[in-house]
This record gives sequence, C-alpha cells and structure tokens, in this order.
Amino acid sequence: MKGIRLLILTALLLASCQTLPAINSILPQAGSKDSVCPSPFLKESYRLVHAVEVRMAGDTGGAIIGITVADPATRFVSCAIMTAEGMVLFEAEATPLLKVIRALPPFDSKNFAENMINDIKLIFFAPEGNIRTKGTLPDGANICRWQEKSGAWIDVIARLPEGIEINRYSAYGSWQRRIKLIPIAENVYQRIELMAKETFNYSLIMTLIEAEPIEGDLKTEKTKDSEE
Amino acid sequence: MQKRLLTFLSLGLFVLLPCFAFADSFEQLRKDAANIITVQARFVQKKQMKILSKPLISEGRFFYAAPDSFRWEYFKPLRTIVISSKGEAKRYIMSDGKMAEDKSGGVQAMRIVLNEVVNWMSGKFDRNPSFKASLKEGTNTLITLIPEGQNMAGMIEKIEISVAKKSMAIKSVKIIEGENAATIIDFSDVEINKAINDSVFQDVE
Repeated sequence: MKGIRLLILTALLLASCQTLPAINSILPQAGSKDSVCPSPFLKESYRLVHAVEVRMAGDTGGAIIGITVADPATRFVSCAIMTAEGMVLFEAEATPLLKVIRALPPFDSKNFAENMINDIKLIFFAPEGNIRTKGTLPDGANICRWQEKSGAWIDVIARLPEGIEINRYSAYGSWQRRIKLIPIAENVYQRIELMAKETFNYSLIMTLIEAEPIEGDLKTEKTKDSEE
Repeated sequence: MQKRLLTFLSLGLFVLLPCFAFADSFEQLRKDAANIITVQARFVQKKQMKILSKPLISEGRFFYAAPDSFRWEYFKPLRTIVISSKGEAKRYIMSDGKMAEDKSGGVQAMRIVLNEVVNWMSGKFDRNPSFKASLKEGTNTLITLIPEGQNMAGMIEKIEISVAKKSMAIKSVKIIEGENAATIIDFSDVEINKAINDSVFQDVE
C-alpha cells in the first residue's frame, strides 16, 4: 500500500513539474509561420457545439453542453455552457474585451470566464506571437514552439497516428494546459481532450455534436445586434 | 445554484404531468391528477439562444409512476438519465461508452426539488408561492406560471404549458428565460395509466 502511495505521489510530482521538452531543432531561428508547423486551427468563423464531460481526480464530475462561436480573423469568441435540460449556466464573449452575459455559481468568478476564453482560443486559434523553434521531439513527433507576447510558451505537436497536441507553459516553462485533438473523424474537433493544471486539476472530454461555418462578418452581426 | 438549477429542471420536466387531465380550474386539476397512476411519453426539446443559429434539438423519453417514481432520459445529443424512486434520486451521464453516476453534487439537492415535484404531480400548480399561476381556456388549455420574488430572477421569465382539450394530453412546455432564450419541449406518444416495469425506475440501461 505504501508503495502505491509513493508511486502516486511521484507521478503527481512529476506531472506538476512538467516543463518545456527538449526539441531536436531543425530550424532554430525559424521566424516564419510556414506549412511545416501543425495547424489544426480554425481558418474561418465557425459555430461548434460539443458535449463536454468534466472529470476531476479521474472521476466523472458531470456533463454539460458547450457552444462556441469563434472567428480566427478577429479573434472574437462567444461561448455558452448549458445543461442537457437546457439551462444556461454561463454565457460570455470576448471582442477581445471580456463580457460576461450570464454566470451562475460556481461559474461566476472572473477567473473562470478568463480561463474559459483562453482555453477556447488555445484550442481554436493559432497562437499569437512568434515561432521560436521548430523540429522534432525524441519520439519523432513534429513540433513548433511559439512564444506569445505575455511570455507564455505554446507547443503544437503532430504525433501520428495519435493526433495533434497543444501544450501551454508559463513564461517560466511550467506546464498549464494540454489539448489533444483526436483524429477519429473528418472534423479535427470531433473529440477534444483538455487537461488543466489549476488549484484543483481537471480535464474535459469534448465530443462534437455539430459544427457549421458562419457566413458573413461576425463583427457586423454583433454591431447590428448592439444597435437593436 | 444547484437548487435553482434543479428547480428549473423540475419545472421543465415535471410541471406538465398533472395536465394530462383537462380541467376548468386548479381545483379540478388536482382532482383529475389523482386519477393518474402512470405517464410515459417521448419528447423533443428545442433550445433557442442568440448564440445558436438554429435551435439545438434534444430527444428523449420520460416515465412517471405514482406516487414518486420518475425517469427523465435524453437519448441525444447528450445522453443523461435522471431516476428517482422511493425517495432516492440519481443522475447518470454517458462516460467512456457506459452510463456513470454524475457526482457533481446536484443529486443531493435534487431530493429537495423532487419533493416539490410531488406537489406538481398532485396538480398543485397554484400552491407554490414561487409562481403565480393562471389558467386560460382556448383551443388548448394554457397554464401560465410567472415567478414571484427574486429566486428565479434572471433565470425564468415565464412558463407556458399547453394541454390539448380533446385528448387531454400535454402538447408542449415553453420555458421563456429572457428575450433571446427559451426552451420548448414538445411531447408525443403520450400514454397514461399504462403499466410500467419497475426496472425503468431502477436500471439505467
């Protein structure tokens, strides 16, 4: 029993200490965003609806429906969380200014809204900032490493056949998020796994319900709504 | 939040049940509700929101057996089941291809709400101080519930329940949450007082 506890403790410590992995760099000074880098990100405005399973400490914690509207050109994000029964628990948009439209407890903290918008951007938008390194990992996976203006690092990794992985690290290299896009269907967002390191670590398993491109300019649509 | 959520849920799910009998008044409604032993039906739920270009459609089925057994089940898009039997309520969700108990904590609060549901089942629409109830006759019978006080503020503006006069069956429930959001549940294949196996209220599969 002690051995198992020690093993779990060691695993937790290792997980909490994850840092930027070493890259066998092939283009160490890469500044261009060419096609070598994996790019699972949206190319046009989309509306996506996912079934979201929430897990904490490995246990199933609940299931909700997540709705996302995202425009990669303007980085506009609108999102909502609702129960299967149709109750809207949370709704917000970032233009990029964050505006919370509805937030019922426990979704009513400012941190929750900011984290959610940041997670959506991490999944669906190409990182802002510059590519610092591109190359391969020891297991042969292709990787591009970005650094955002905030100093945070984002690794985008193509590991076949498992799919694409996106990892975000703080400016000091401490791991914060892992996104896995599992290629089980044509749509790259068919199954998304998100692992988050927070005070209480959690993971989300998102299964696509429907996705549709949005025609026209979201900003125009938004302005029209505001005028009404 | 849990209590508000479950109140919302219970209203959406169960407020309709006593309406399977036509009534001229709430008093008559209560008398008619006393004759209901079981109810089962299919439903289609349409969720309207500004963020959605078209309503999000959910489908499911529900069962009720007097005095207090429920099963409210969504087949898609998100498979969930709420079962309440003999005073114990559980919620299940699909996880890794099988149904797993929802441990998010809402179930405990659900017991409180289901006690209230029993009141609804008894046709006591006008006895809940949280809502002002009115009944209007027309082609269909329309029951309107408007929240009173602040408990539902910002969550529900109005609930409209439509009951077919001739068939005496519920047609739809419309929960209006605000200017840009509503949940509409349309019912079909309604069967009243048809035997339901006990396992429906015990087994999730």
